Amino acid sequence: MQFEPKIIAFLCNWCSYAGADLAGSLRFQYPPNVTVVRVPCSGRVNPMFILKAFFTGADGVLVGG
Amino acid sequence: MPRIGVYICHCGENIAGAVNVEEVRKYAEQLPEVAIARDYLFMCSDPGQELIKQDIRAGLVDRVVVAACTPRTHEPIFREAVAEAGLNKYLFEMANIRDQDSWAHWHDKEGATAKAKKLVASAVAKAAFLEPLEDRFVEVTPAALVVGGGVAGMFAALDLAGMGYQVYLVEKNPSIGGNMAKLDKTFPTNDCSACILTPVMVRVGTHPKIKLLTYSEVESVEGSFGNFKVKVRRKQTYIDWDKCTGCGDCVNACPARIPNEFNEGMDNRRAVYIEFPQAVPKKAVVDLEHCLNCGKRTIGTAPRIHSKTGKPILAPCERACKTGACDRSKAYDPEGEIIELAVGTIIVTTGYRVMDKAPFKEYSPQSPNVVTAMQLERILSATGPTAGHFERPSDKEKPKTIAFVSCVGSRDKRHHTYCSKVCCMYMLKEARLIKEKYPETDIYIFFIDVRTAGKDFEEYYNYCRNLGIKMLRGRVGGVDELPGDRLRVRAYDVDLGAPVELEADLVVLATAIEPAPGLAELGRKLGITCGSEGFLKEMHTKLYPVETPVRGVYIAGCAQGPKDIPEAVSQARAASSAAAVPLTFGKIVVEPLISEVNQRKCSGCGTCEKLCPYSAIKLVEDKGRLRSHIDEALCAGCGVCAAACPSGAITLHGFTNAQISAQIKALAS
Repeated sequence: MQFEPKIIAFLCNWCSYAGADLAGSLRFQYPPNVTVVRVPCSGRVNPMFILKAFFTGADGVLVGG
Repeated sequence: MPRIGVYICHCGENIAGAVNVEEVRKYAEQLPEVAIARDYLFMCSDPGQELIKQDIRAGLVDRVVVAACTPRTHEPIFREAVAEAGLNKYLFEMANIRDQDSWAHWHDKEGATAKAKKLVASAVAKAAFLEPLEDRFVEVTPAALVVGGGVAGMFAALDLAGMGYQVYLVEKNPSIGGNMAKLDKTFPTNDCSACILTPVMVRVGTHPKIKLLTYSEVESVEGSFGNFKVKVRRKQTYIDWDKCTGCGDCVNACPARIPNEFNEGMDNRRAVYIEFPQAVPKKAVVDLEHCLNCGKRTIGTAPRIHSKTGKPILAPCERACKTGACDRSKAYDPEGEIIELAVGTIIVTTGYRVMDKAPFKEYSPQSPNVVTAMQLERILSATGPTAGHFERPSDKEKPKTIAFVSCVGSRDKRHHTYCSKVCCMYMLKEARLIKEKYPETDIYIFFIDVRTAGKDFEEYYNYCRNLGIKMLRGRVGGVDELPGDRLRVRAYDVDLGAPVELEADLVVLATAIEPAPGLAELGRKLGITCGSEGFLKEMHTKLYPVETPVRGVYIAGCAQGPKDIPEAVSQARAASSAAAVPLTFGKIVVEPLISEVNQRKCSGCGTCEKLCPYSAIKLVEDKGRLRSHIDEALCAGCGVCAAACPSGAITLHGFTNAQISAQIKALAS
């Protein structure tokens, strides 16, 4: 079976989260193995969140801001 | 223990077409702390909202999760519904299973369903940690700022001023009027542009509630919705506008000659100039970059004294000025003046510019007889370089054959992929004006598609065709200069299926509409973004077309995208009514999603104070120790402090550590 990484994305509400919405409304297709946590600013992303994601089973973390 | 209600929206087919809603509902039902899971065709509709309200009123649920579209548009709607049913509106969370799931994974139904489950689980996990919060209210400054004094900005300003609010209208040029002031006639009624625009300019200029700030630009924007603090730089005019009467004597005396921007470079203006004869305010400015400094005397220095007469030797402009407005010995500050404004709402109407012909090497831009449509507009205009006489630039002869080239820079991957929207109609208009006046002129319009959607536009098009204006479908490959100031147009006629050549006396390029220069920078100052094509992005194309993601900032006219005058004015008036709502209400709700310091945990290290981008945090002495203090009015809720606090003393409400950690756990496992 092919390896499917589990990716968690922390996206800033004002830019990259809006970008992810726009990608959807333009029907850009991408794999569904990325799930988003909405944050008010990428500055809200405590490094502990990233570590926590890896500890609890994520294979990759994306911070967008 | 919380009782969470999960409500899954089908969004018609938008979600249900990719996500197996029933499977997600069943999955949600068995999640811990979920009391009920329902689905409905349109959750945001009245019956959909009623489902949620009934469950709250029946005491079945005390927290609500809606799995639907994006919280960026629909969170306020559902929060309102939750509040109506008597629950604190911050005990609500959304799972974005449309924009970021079904739409993006349309062909992977299994993947989309699995992702929807995860997103619902994440929202449910967060919901368990939600806390009730109370809205805050902020007083609104009853004034508005309009940036850009074209037709859109003028109407936005007039509407707001008419409602009784103080309006500041900032315009970067010396006069208001914008691009419309350059036009000859306007489609589809062929109204004279000046006849309909100049009275509006006068009304704007004389309205007691409108403060005109022309030759000015926005320097910085601080504060937030309801209470913006805007610094405007009033550029140095080097003329005392209090004394200037706009008589134009200084202009006539000036010996310098510079290409005239208002006439699209087809004639010259002076270094001291009035932008155009109908300018409002009708005041002169000195273009210092091109000033010849007559008598080798720079501005701000005293005149030399004539050895014989003993009188000062004045520059021609000074000598001509009868009111003392032009005084070159005055030490003007070249940086101009900074004016600080306090406003509640801001409307951006910065308009557009038309592309220059220079980048289009294939169309012989070096030939004076290849002109842009805006240049032709000036040639046709009674206030233009030819005083309305229809003549071509090279030899002042009346052209007998004219070729229009459409989509120059528009719908072209090398320049702009978008359609400039107005070119088809203005080409037809210009062709019609010429044909009606000089029926013997042969006019050819080369087009790719004729786009005349709009009220009375198609009728206008048919009228033009009946006048004998020839329409040829095909892109023009090149324009060559021929002896005798003639031009050869080479094109491919799609209908004939063959290349065609045509000799013309004048070639008109319908160049693309572009965002006004500096728009991206202005957007950054206001916190709003431009789309890929460089125009400002509205909050929602259909439902919130004049709003932006920044509350209190609205957009209208060509700053938002190419559009014609009727559309720009409609949008401007929509923006003014949207901008008036908070001014009328007098106070605005501020979401309590801001940071709070636990004074007992705070060590007073000051890390947060240094990092806060809004200068909302100060260290304050409390019982002999320094403690971090957050100014609620300034905090924008970014959470940088909460992430950085080494003591874990800061909580960002709505995005707490516990809430985000629960989401991570639900998504990663």
